[in-house]
Amino acid sequence: MTDLSDLPPARPWRGSALWPAAALLASLALWGYAVTHTDVSDLGDFGLVGALHPTFWAGLALLTAGFWFTLRGPHRHPAWAPAYVVGLLVMERATQAVVYPTPLYAWAWKHDAVVDHLLTAGRLQNADVLGDMAVYDQWPGFFAAQAALVKLLGVDSAAQFMAWWPLVSSLLLLLPLLLIYRTFTEDRRLVWLAVWLFCVANWVGQDYFSPQSVAFALHLGVLAIVLRRYADGGSGANGPGAGRPGVGGSGVGGAGGGQRQAVWTVLLTLLVVAIVISHQLTPGMLVASLAVLFFARHYRDKVPLITTAVIFLAWCLTAALPFLSATMPDMLRSIGDIGGNVATGYGATPTGTGAVTTSWVARLLSGSVLLLAVAGVLRQPVLRHRALPLLLLALAPLPMFAASSYGSEMIFRVLMFMLPGAAFFAAAALLPQVRTLAAVEAQGARPERRRFVWLPLVALLAGTLAFVPSYSGKDRISHFPQAEVDLVRQVVDKAPDGSLVVAADRNYPLAFADYWRVDHYWFLDDARQHVDLIVGEPAATLARDMASVEAPGRAYLLFTQGQFADAEMNGLLTRAQLDRIEKSVAASPLFERVAGNSAGSAYTLKSAKEAPEPKEAPEAKEAGR
Amino acid sequence: MTPQELVVRMLPPFGGWLALSALALPAGSELRGAAMIVFLAAGPGAALVRICGPALSARPAEGPVERRDPAFERHSDLLERLMLIVFLSVAVVLLVATVFIATHAFSAQRVLLTLTLLTTVAGFCPRLRASPPRTVKGTAL
Repeated sequence: MTDLSDLPPARPWRGSALWPAAALLASLALWGYAVTHTDVSDLGDFGLVGALHPTFWAGLALLTAGFWFTLRGPHRHPAWAPAYVVGLLVMERATQAVVYPTPLYAWAWKHDAVVDHLLTAGRLQNADVLGDMAVYDQWPGFFAAQAALVKLLGVDSAAQFMAWWPLVSSLLLLLPLLLIYRTFTEDRRLVWLAVWLFCVANWVGQDYFSPQSVAFALHLGVLAIVLRRYADGGSGANGPGAGRPGVGGSGVGGAGGGQRQAVWTVLLTLLVVAIVISHQLTPGMLVASLAVLFFARHYRDKVPLITTAVIFLAWCLTAALPFLSATMPDMLRSIGDIGGNVATGYGATPTGTGAVTTSWVARLLSGSVLLLAVAGVLRQPVLRHRALPLLLLALAPLPMFAASSYGSEMIFRVLMFMLPGAAFFAAAALLPQVRTLAAVEAQGARPERRRFVWLPLVALLAGTLAFVPSYSGKDRISHFPQAEVDLVRQVVDKAPDGSLVVAADRNYPLAFADYWRVDHYWFLDDARQHVDLIVGEPAATLARDMASVEAPGRAYLLFTQGQFADAEMNGLLTRAQLDRIEKSVAASPLFERVAGNSAGSAYTLKSAKEAPEPKEAPEAKEAGR
Repeated sequence: MTPQELVVRMLPPFGGWLALSALALPAGSELRGAAMIVFLAAGPGAALVRICGPALSARPAEGPVERRDPAFERHSDLLERLMLIVFLSVAVVLLVATVFIATHAFSAQRVLLTLTLLTTVAGFCPRLRASPPRTVKGTAL
């Protein structure tokens, strides 16, 4: 095997099309059978993993093996690899949309509430009206577009289509990813294997209905354009225009080159503005990525970097200023605190066999892909040289560890932004060594070594199968049955303006519903000292905490299975403690049960006047918020 | 103008007007949804890319060091166009919706009408012609 791209052109496809088609169709058929025979009504500690019909695993393994052999086969048709990757995305990202009757993730439901707020208010509002939730009105791009989409489709809310968002956003990512990889290699095997590895290693779950999902795709789109169109000497560095005077290069080519570059810059600016108005973190990551390219002198054109930085700053100093000025002291404190920024925070300690196991599988998957990437960098000196910008882009997000904790999520976001580059080199580690044409001519074509040829397939299979527990192993937390949605909806719809909805934590559907008129309080967000008080004397303490609601508002207390699953599996409280709290409330004369079904119960505080006097200083609770 | 050019020029605006007329269909209907999604995901971007096309492709893009497949570069350029069509559409939808919500003038119909009008205007705009690349001394190659 010489350079990976010098395989014979694939033409005799027709005779060899049978088995790739059969394997793909068989795997999709197995998936179809699995999702129609999967019962998610009683998820265990392993989430969807424990509930999936065994044919799902057979289908996924067959798909992976089929992809590998299609990729490696000498008579491969170029269309099979994309077909298999789309098949992978369907199995990975559409399974939950098919098997669950309601959308997953409390965060997705929160974003649905923001869309609902924009539709109700018809304008952006500030913290005086919305409190902490005003931050979404300062980066409204995604939500405004979704508000328009909801109305144009004529549906009641984004909840009706947001379950399919992971599939849509993952398909969106394919376009820039392919372009980026095709900038550095012509070898389709390397390109598609890198795309596959990216898909299976991207388990962090930022593909859900969120600004991050769209901003990440646009971020990769900007990088693809910069890598292809803003290189030193245009196509001169790598391409056929090398050495030709006047071809490409932003500073070369006179008026014609300047005009062309201006057109690209206008389009780039549109994408950057869309990113900046939609998401806080992504513009920072984009600036870091472009700066790394610029300072590494591979891409000396400063226009993309300056354009992005100026637009980002302009937004931060105008529309986003209220949020940034309020959080600036905390942000400044977290600069340099790498340990604190990397920590995943209180309430994120996996508890129980299922949560611990799936957490470790996820860590192992990410660690393996990053190690493979290191192996690829070390083993493939030719690629390391040719795709150096991609290596730099993989490293660019790392300094963000020192910048902020991003709500205890920085480690996951950094991992996600590193993946496009890391997946490329990880794929390179699984394929034969690339050699230059000169080396091939000097040494002759070497036959591929036959030893351990099965290892890459095993690694690919292991990684692909490990994606499922990493991505959906905690679905007991993320999935809310229809009964839970109905219960919360019933409470919120009944709540007069100015009411307060109290719950153990925010892990339930519609947790932020009507947040512009109904306040929320999650007592597990409090300091441990106050949580202990609630556990010790539940009804009396909660009644005191809820007593400040003024008429006509009412105070509701909500216990649902989503909160219990989250509290248990993230080490906040044990099941026994939660049961004790609910029993105490149910038995207390201070509360009245107003709604309930198989997914939980809702209580209301009978009268604020009946609440007992506080036994603690009020600062203890406030301090924990 | 060839019939093919006319189709390429007028298809995005047609998609917009089709989406506008689809508002008359029942709320939540699949046909209405398809008309909306196709236009919002591709219409504005396609109109923009049509205008900028010649200028964008005036010089070859950066590519792999060793090129053996003559079609590879063309396929990459096509992929780039497809990405631009989709991503620019998404970006324009985000921008227009944000402008309306920020100016207290938000309604979904206004967003769609504005996008359709912009796309229609773009359909009547001439394409940006690529100036011939010149050397530093100013002589055309």
